[in-house]
Amino acid sequence: MSRLAIGGQVDRSRALGFSFDGRDYSGLAGDTLASALIANGVKVVGRSFKYHRPRGVLSAGAEEPNALVTLRTGAYVEPNTRATLVELFDGLAASSQNRWPSLGFDVLALNQIIAPLLVAGFYYKTFMWPASFWERVYEPLIRRAAGLGHLATLPDPDHYDREHGFCDLLVIGGGPAGLATALSAGRSGLRVILASEDFQFGGRLLSERHVVAGMPGDAWAKQAAEELTSMPNVRMLSRTTVVSAYDGREYVAVERVTDHLAQSASGRPRQRLWKIVAREAVIAAGAVERPLVFGGNDRPGVMLASAVSTYINRFAAVPGKRAVIFTTGDSGWRTAADLIAAGAEVAALADARDEVPAAARALLPGRVPIYTGARVADAHGAPLRSVDLYADGKRHRIRADLLAMAGGWNPAIGLGSNLGARPVWSSAQDTFLLTTPPPGLRVAGAANGKFSLGDAMRDGWSSGAQVAQALGHRAVAEPAFPTSDDPSTGRALWHVDERRGKAFVDYQNDVTDKDIDLAVREGFSSAEHLKRYTTLGMATDQGKTSSVNGHALLARATGKSLTETGTILSRPPWQPVAIGVLAGHHRGRDFRPERLTPSHGWATERGAVFTDAGLWKRAQWFPRSPDEPWRDAVDREVRLTRSGVGVCDVSTLGKIDVHGPDAGTLLDRLYTGTFSSLAVGRARYGIMLREDGFVFDDGTTTRFAADRYYLTTTTMNASRVMQHIDYARQVLWPDLDVQAVSVTERWASFSVAGPASRALIAALLPGIDLSNASFPPMAALETRWDGMPTRLFRLSFSGELAFEICVPANAGDRLVRQLFALGADHGITPYGTEALGVMRIEKGHVAGPELNGQTTAADLGMSRMVSTKKDFIGRVLAGRPALVDPGRGMLVGLIPVDHSHLLRAGAHLVRPGRAPVAANDEGYVTSVAYSPTLGHGIALALLSRGRDRHGERIVAHDPVRGNIVEAQVCDPVFYDPEGARVRG
Amino acid sequence: MVDSVRITERYNLSMASILARRGVSAAVIGEAISVDMPVSPGWTVRAPLMVIGSGPGTWLACGHGAGPDWCGDLARRLAGLASVSDQSGAWRTFHVEGPGARTLLQRGAPVDLDDAAFPAGCAALTVIGHVDVIIRSLADGRSYEVAVYRSYAESFLRWVEATVAGL
Repeated sequence: MSRLAIGGQVDRSRALGFSFDGRDYSGLAGDTLASALIANGVKVVGRSFKYHRPRGVLSAGAEEPNALVTLRTGAYVEPNTRATLVELFDGLAASSQNRWPSLGFDVLALNQIIAPLLVAGFYYKTFMWPASFWERVYEPLIRRAAGLGHLATLPDPDHYDREHGFCDLLVIGGGPAGLATALSAGRSGLRVILASEDFQFGGRLLSERHVVAGMPGDAWAKQAAEELTSMPNVRMLSRTTVVSAYDGREYVAVERVTDHLAQSASGRPRQRLWKIVAREAVIAAGAVERPLVFGGNDRPGVMLASAVSTYINRFAAVPGKRAVIFTTGDSGWRTAADLIAAGAEVAALADARDEVPAAARALLPGRVPIYTGARVADAHGAPLRSVDLYADGKRHRIRADLLAMAGGWNPAIGLGSNLGARPVWSSAQDTFLLTTPPPGLRVAGAANGKFSLGDAMRDGWSSGAQVAQALGHRAVAEPAFPTSDDPSTGRALWHVDERRGKAFVDYQNDVTDKDIDLAVREGFSSAEHLKRYTTLGMATDQGKTSSVNGHALLARATGKSLTETGTILSRPPWQPVAIGVLAGHHRGRDFRPERLTPSHGWATERGAVFTDAGLWKRAQWFPRSPDEPWRDAVDREVRLTRSGVGVCDVSTLGKIDVHGPDAGTLLDRLYTGTFSSLAVGRARYGIMLREDGFVFDDGTTTRFAADRYYLTTTTMNASRVMQHIDYARQVLWPDLDVQAVSVTERWASFSVAGPASRALIAALLPGIDLSNASFPPMAALETRWDGMPTRLFRLSFSGELAFEICVPANAGDRLVRQLFALGADHGITPYGTEALGVMRIEKGHVAGPELNGQTTAADLGMSRMVSTKKDFIGRVLAGRPALVDPGRGMLVGLIPVDHSHLLRAGAHLVRPGRAPVAANDEGYVTSVAYSPTLGHGIALALLSRGRDRHGERIVAHDPVRGNIVEAQVCDPVFYDPEGARVRG
Repeated sequence: MVDSVRITERYNLSMASILARRGVSAAVIGEAISVDMPVSPGWTVRAPLMVIGSGPGTWLACGHGAGPDWCGDLARRLAGLASVSDQSGAWRTFHVEGPGARTLLQRGAPVDLDDAAFPAGCAALTVIGHVDVIIRSLADGRSYEVAVYRSYAESFLRWVEATVAGL
C-alpha cells in the first residue's frame, strides 16, 4: 500500500472493495480505478497494442493511452475503459486487455523480438500478397493479435437517454479557469451550462497544492462550485464530457449518469447524450502534459509528472518510493516537491534546460541532486528499476521505481478544431494554440496557453465577462484571484538523441521515433500522411499525448519548423463515445416509431399476423388458429370476400384535403387526368407523374363541394405526395387560391368488399339508398354514423361490389367491431394485405411493384388516362424518345403453362429456347399470387411489346432461387374482365 | 421520481385545420370566429375555441366537448376566408404536469422549453423520439399539453415510459 495517512480528496471512512484480473483490492470513495491500483502498488495494468509490452498508468486523465481495461462482466461488459476516468465503486470488477493468457505472461510479447518486421506501414508491406490470404489468414490473425477489449455479444441491458440544453454560455471544463468563467458569466445573469468531465469540480486545484484567495485551492473550488450550483441560471453538469462541436453552435456531450454505480437504480439511464445549443462557448478544458521521447519511456513506472502530483495530492496515493524527475520546465520542480512532501525520495531531478529560473529552484529543498542541461536517455525494468541519466557528457545509472516526466503542455483545444479551425504554432510558448476559434467559441485558461494558475483564472473570468457584454449583459467587477506563485516557463525537448532503447511517441498504437523517421524516408512527410502510414494518433486516445510530439519529430526529420508541418485537426468526437448513448432510446423495437392502424387492437385480438408497410404495422392475414398455414388463411379470405363480404383496414393510405376556388385547377396540373370537371359527389381514379415523366403515384380523388376535394395516395407515398402538392401550390403556382392539408390521421378507412357488402352497409347506415341508380360505382357521400361525420364511397380495388367507409380515427375500433357484429349473418371475413394483393393481381390493378418509379402510364396500360388537352406535371418529359419507345416493357398477365407451377416475382422473361442471359432479357415479373378464384398461379409482368404478345409463351427465369417456369402471356385482368361484379 | 410527472389523456377534443385563403389576413379570420389568431408559434383562447398557430396562414383550432357540427359551423363562419378540414380524432392529447414535466419534455424535444423562451401561451410543432408533436405551454413550466398523431401514440408512450423512469 502506498496510501498516505492524511490529505487528498478520498474518504478514508468509506473503503470500497474491487477486483482487478480476479484479485481483490481495496480502495476509497473518491478514488478512480487508476488511483486505487496505484494505492495498491499495482504497476502493470495492460499490454501494448502491437508489441504487447507491459504498460502502467501514464496519466491521470482522459488522455490515458495505456491503462485501458474491461469493466464489469456478462452483458454489462465495457471494454477499452480508461482506468483514469473510472470512478471506483464497491464491487467493481476490472480486467486487463490485450494479453493472453495473463498479464504477467503474454505469448504475443514475442512481437517485440520480431519488432523489425512490425515497423511503420507493416500492414501494407507484409500482408499484401497473396490477395486471397487477406480475408482468410491475415485479417483474422491481426484482429486476434492486435487488440483492444472484447465487446459483450449479449444485448445491452442498460438504457440510455438524451436531453437538450440551451444556454447563453457553455463552459467546457470545471477547473480553475472554467469555474472563473462560469462565476463571471453566472453573476452577470447569463444562462450558463458548465460541463465537467470529472466527477469533482476543481481540475488542477485538486491535483496541486495552491492557495486561491487565501484558502486552499480545493476549498476554493468547492466554494465556487457551490455558489454556481445555487444560481438558478447556472446548470452544473459533472461527469459530462463535451465530445463535439457542430455548426449552428451546437455541442454534443455525454453525461455518465450511473457509470459510477455498481448497478444503476431502476430505470435510470447509464449515460445521457446532451445536445446543447449555446450562443457562446468557452473551452476551458486545460492542457495535456507531453511525455518525453527517450528509450524505455513506456516502462511501467514512467509517468507524466502532472499525474504523479495528482495521485499524491488528490488521491493520497504515492506512485513510487524513489523517483527521478525529467523535466523541461518549471512544473516538474513542483512535482519533485510534491514527492518529497509525500515522503518519497527524489533521487535526481534532470532539467533539460541549461538555465533554470530561480522561482522554480525555490520550490525544492537543496538536498535533491539536480542536473541541468540533462536528460534521461533510457529507462530499464518492467516495472521500472533504474534510469540512465545523461548529463555533463556522461551516463549516470540511477536506481528508481518512478520516473516523472514533464515535457511541457498541449492545450486541450481539439473541440475547437471540430469545425475546421487550425491551431497555430507558438514558438514563444512551444505549443499549438487556437488563435482564431470558430464563431461563438473562445478559449480560456491553460487551453489558451495561460499555464500559470493566476493567469488562467483571470483569463477565465475575463472570457465570461466578454461573453456577458457581447450578449448585452452588464459585466460584474472582477474579484481579485490572488493565487500562490506558479512558475510555468519551459522549453520543449522533442527527442533524446542519446537513447538506446525503444522510444515511444504514440503509446497506444506503439509508434516509435524510428517509425516516424522511416515514414519520412519513405515519402510520407506530411502530418496527415504520417498519421495514416504510422497510425500515429489513430488509437482510441486520438493522439492526445502523442500527436504534437510526433509532428515535432516529423519537423525534425524534414528539417522544417512546426509552423510548417502544422498539426492535424481533431474530428468529432474528441473523446470516445459508446454507440449505445448515440442510439439512446432508439434500438430494438424502438429503433423507429411504429404506426398502428385504428383497428390494430381489434386485429391483434383476432390473431392477425402483421407486416411492415413503411412505419405502419398492417394486418397481413388472419389465421384461424396459430398453426394455420398462411396460404390457407389468405385463400380463405379471398374466397369469402368474393362470395360474401370482406373487410380490410385501408387507413394507411395517404389522405389529403385540397380546398379552395382553384383546387380543381391545381389537381388538373398534378394529375394526368382532369378533375376540374368532376361532379360533386363523385370520385375518379388518377395517376400523377413525376417531373421526369415517370408515374409517381395513383389514387382516387373525390369532390365533395365545388371547392372541396379529397384525394388518396398509396401508403408508401403519402408524405411524398403531400410534399409534392405543397411544393406545387407554394412554389410553382402561388397565384392559385388553393389549400391542402393531410387528413391521413383523421380518418379510419375500411374497405368493405364482396357481393354482400351492400347489405352490410345498408344495415350499418340505414336510410341511405345504395342502389346502383342512386349510388353507382365511383359515387361518394357525406353522412353520419353514430352521430359522427362519416364518408362513404363506392370504390373497389378487389373487383367486387365494394364500398369504402371512413369515420373519425378514434371511432375506427368501434366501427370495425360494429361491422363484424352486423356482418355475422353475411359470412363476413377480415382480410389482410396478402388477400388484398391477391385480389388486385386477379384484377390486374397496379400497385407498388408496378409503380416502381421506372414505369410510364403507357407501360401500365393507362395511356387513355393521359390527357392531351391540358398541361400537367411530367407531360413534357413523358414524351422523351426513351419513354415512348414501343419496345418498352408493358403490363401483361402470365399464367404458368403447368398450372401446378408458381411464378416468382423478380424473375426475368426470356423467349423459349433462348439462353437466359442479359442480352435475351425481355422483361420481368412484378407481382405474383396463387389465385384461389382461378385455382392456379398468376402473375403481372412488364414485357417488351407485351400488349401485342397475348397468347405467346415466355420463360420466367429466377436464377437466384433456381426457378424456371414457362408461362403464357395474357391480358393482365384475370378475373371478371367485363367488370360485371363491381357494378353488382 | 416517477411522482414528479403526471400524465393524463384528454378526451372529447374536436380539432380542425384552418388554412387562410389567398390574401386573407389572420386578423380577418380571427374576427370571423372571435379569436385572436396567433401569428407566431403560440396559442390563444376565447372559449369555447382554442387556436394554435401551426405555420404561416395555418392554424389548428380545438374545441372541448364540442358537437359533431362544430367543424361545419367553423367552416360556415369562415366561408370564403379560410379552408377548414376536420381533424377530430387525428391526434391524441396528453396533459403533462408536475415538477418534472419540463425535464421530461426537454429530454425529447429539441426546442428550448425554459420559462423565458417558452412561457405559457407558446406552442411548438416539433419532434420527440422521431414522432411529430405539438407542445403547448399551459402555465409556469410545470404544465404542458402534448398532442401526437394517433397512429404514433403508442410509440410515443413507450418513449414516455422509458424516459419518465429515468427522471
